[in-house]
Amino acid sequence: MKWLIGHLWLIPFFPLVAAAVIAFMKKEKREAAPFFAIGAILVSFVLSCLLFLAFIGIQKTPYGHGLSVHLSHYLWFVTGTTPEIVSLILDPLTLTMLFVVTIVSSLVFIYSLGYMHEDPNIVRFFCFLSLFAASMLGLVISNHLLILFMCWELVGVSSYLLIGFWYEKPEAAAAAKKAFIVTRVGDIGFFIGLLLLYQKTGTLLLYGGSYPAIFSHETLDLLKINAVTLPLFGGVILTTILGVLLFFGAMGKSAQFPFHVWLPDAMEGPTPVSALIHAATMVAAGVFLVGRMFPLLEGSGAMPVIAWIGGITALFAATIAVAQFDIKRLLAYSTISQLGYMMMGLGLGGYVAGIFHLMTHAFFKALLFLGSGSVIHGCHGEQDMRHMGGLRKAMPVTFWTYLAGTLALAGIFPLSGFWSKDEILLEAYLHHRPLYWIGTSVAFLTAFYMFRQIFMVFFGSWRGHGQAHESPQTMLWPLRILAILAVFAGLIGTPFLFGNPFRHFLAPGHHAPDPSFFVMAVSTGVALFGIFVAYLLYGRKPLTGEDPLLSYLKGIFILLQRKYYMDELYQNTFVKGANGLARFFREVDELVIDGFLSRTGWATLVLSRFNQWCDNFFLNGGFDRACDGIKGSGGQLRRVQTGRAQDYLLIAAVGAVVLYFLSRIL
Amino acid sequence: MGLFFVVLSLMTLLGALGAMLLKNLVHCAIGLVLFFIGIAGFYLLLQAEFIAAVQILIYVGAVATLILFAVMLTENVIGETTLKGLGRNRWAALILSLVVGGVLIKAIGHQTFSAAQVAERVSTREIGRSLLTTYVLPFEVISILLVAAMIGAIVIAMERNKRMGE
Amino acid sequence: MIPLSWYLTLAAVLFTIGLYGVLARKNAVIVLMGIEIMMNAANLNLIVFSRFLPQTRLSAQVFSLFGITIAAAEVAVGLALVIAIFKMMKTIEVEKIEQLKG
Repeated sequence: MKWLIGHLWLIPFFPLVAAAVIAFMKKEKREAAPFFAIGAILVSFVLSCLLFLAFIGIQKTPYGHGLSVHLSHYLWFVTGTTPEIVSLILDPLTLTMLFVVTIVSSLVFIYSLGYMHEDPNIVRFFCFLSLFAASMLGLVISNHLLILFMCWELVGVSSYLLIGFWYEKPEAAAAAKKAFIVTRVGDIGFFIGLLLLYQKTGTLLLYGGSYPAIFSHETLDLLKINAVTLPLFGGVILTTILGVLLFFGAMGKSAQFPFHVWLPDAMEGPTPVSALIHAATMVAAGVFLVGRMFPLLEGSGAMPVIAWIGGITALFAATIAVAQFDIKRLLAYSTISQLGYMMMGLGLGGYVAGIFHLMTHAFFKALLFLGSGSVIHGCHGEQDMRHMGGLRKAMPVTFWTYLAGTLALAGIFPLSGFWSKDEILLEAYLHHRPLYWIGTSVAFLTAFYMFRQIFMVFFGSWRGHGQAHESPQTMLWPLRILAILAVFAGLIGTPFLFGNPFRHFLAPGHHAPDPSFFVMAVSTGVALFGIFVAYLLYGRKPLTGEDPLLSYLKGIFILLQRKYYMDELYQNTFVKGANGLARFFREVDELVIDGFLSRTGWATLVLSRFNQWCDNFFLNGGFDRACDGIKGSGGQLRRVQTGRAQDYLLIAAVGAVVLYFLSRIL
Repeated sequence: MGLFFVVLSLMTLLGALGAMLLKNLVHCAIGLVLFFIGIAGFYLLLQAEFIAAVQILIYVGAVATLILFAVMLTENVIGETTLKGLGRNRWAALILSLVVGGVLIKAIGHQTFSAAQVAERVSTREIGRSLLTTYVLPFEVISILLVAAMIGAIVIAMERNKRMGE
Repeated sequence: MIPLSWYLTLAAVLFTIGLYGVLARKNAVIVLMGIEIMMNAANLNLIVFSRFLPQTRLSAQVFSLFGITIAAAEVAVGLALVIAIFKMMKTIEVEKIEQLKG
């Protein structure tokens, strides 16, 4: 089993091979495709379990903060005489993620077999799913930031492919594009961070063993002492600026405010995709990244930024979730809110708390999404909760498992969500009171909107069309297993059983804060209160017509329902802004120059001669197109979209020169 | 040595300028050939005989011929050529090229390579050996690339023809 | 003995000439020629370094061989594209080819 630790690459290898095999599979053999994918991910799952046993079995080699880390280095290439070493890592964080990713993936793959049964493109679906699983597994085992970044982008690509899986729907295609572009904005920050890190340290290895690496004491000290001077900000310590830049990537991937807009739209993809990628694994990659970079971030000025962004996101998304009617969109906002929770926990220094919540959240949110998929399947594609109701009788298994997931998410004792949420709240309570109150109000809102959903979907009377039916067994078994995990997984991280084994596993050296019964009591109290309020509004009498909350909150409810008009804001600022600027230039062209030329005859002659002279002598390149613009076509800004390869090349060359000069200035 | 350098420099510079600035496309192609030969001369001067031979074979032998064929297939050679001039970006292009050139030359001024000693001559045997040992993977990959490019070129250039013939 | 910087300067000037041709000429074939000039200038640098920096003497030559090969492949495909475009659009004026926009 020790052998396996040296061959970590085997874990992403199997899904990758499955993806390749499926991609080249003939259409006639399509029945075999899902089984290939499921087999491969199950192999990875078994390997992860074996790795876990091997890991806890062998002698620990302390590294840094008493963590045990196993590295396997490979030579990538040699530049001049400098070898570029890449390496794979096995540490408690990787193991946790491997376990979460493989188990959720396996269950979602099996579920998809039932859910996508009738889709003609099921082969393509499983190919993409396997590709996703492979890149996600690669992401968590890589010890080299460039490899990590590659897997990060691969994960983004497979997410794009899967959101746009039903690309014949225009909304799905648009959502895929939106997800890709919005996360890319964050990735720019990530990439600049990587470049800066490489420039300052000369390596992108995280843990090095005998090689120079970022998390070695010398490098960390170097980064903590030195500063860069930025325009506007003045001198900033390197760890702070690096932390913020890397966090940009995490914000994009984990849908943190203000990059959260893509995640709800991503619900256009098939539901298993939403469960696997947009709830349990990929969106957690940002949280994972922050966890991975924790030795660098710890104590730096980036931590308050992370904590506050997380807190704001948690509250912001939870309030939006209150007013949603689409069963999946509500869960999407809930996911954003919970991701914010994790970020907040990490930002407050609660490394274990954040990662623990990541794990429990993966289980219960995957469960909820798969449950919602089952509901949608049972209601013949209906997603609006106003047209559901009373499904408790028609879909008993879905109901009970969904209820388990909801209770876990709401943080009811002793389900998994209670323990992990409580650790985050405890960190906040000890270190930062304002964030503690934000967290507590989010706990209330979470319980409220989840039970609003439960009452609307499963209680009352059926308001939809046709007959709802229970889903097939391939879909129900994953639900049952996830429900068990959602209920019991939290017990590995309680302070009351064996003194929090999860904490000892993940961060052996860290001192655990003492459990506070006040925090536990308050969080349970607000959760129960949230459920009670939801019962008063939605449970007592079945929903008829309008949402009762609408009559109480009116304008606010509409504001929340429209998601604070964030999409409209972006549409009106960034998208319209670019268009408007282009139009402005055209107007200027048409009104000022055109008017000038056409109305004054003599002046025109002189001016056009002057113009011509300018053209021929020194302004030709720049102004020629503007003169063409007089004919009513373009304007300066439209130049960038001329469609001519040469112009694009010109602009690229200008960009290269500008970058050169920037690099000299900075 | 110095004399050779000056002569070859003039040859390559004139060749390149001619290829980029002349009106007649055939003249451009001839300028390009001059440039290629000049570069091969530099390789000889730098004692890279094998690369010089490759340069002559591939560039003068194959690339220049291909370019001449392309000129003849797309233009009316003897008579009027419609596309002799510069595009509308000419001034921007000039300024930008000058800036890029300035940046490059400035960067050369900053170079810190200690060029005190001169490397030994690389024998063809050594190149051949390393191509099949150290660099065997890139060598195979580039072979595949060449085959792919060859097939691709044929397919791209043929397809329309076939359709027209039908 | 010619100093290193002379070679590098010459290569930079050649590169600039090639860049100008690529950006300014109308004819697609000449644009391709410009790219060839730029590639050759880069290759010249490689060989110069193979001569002046002993630790790169072999790898630079091998690399320049690969560079030449790629240039050959590129010119083959590029010219095939030019011919295909000419047959389709009856022009090889790069400014008339405007389909590269949304």
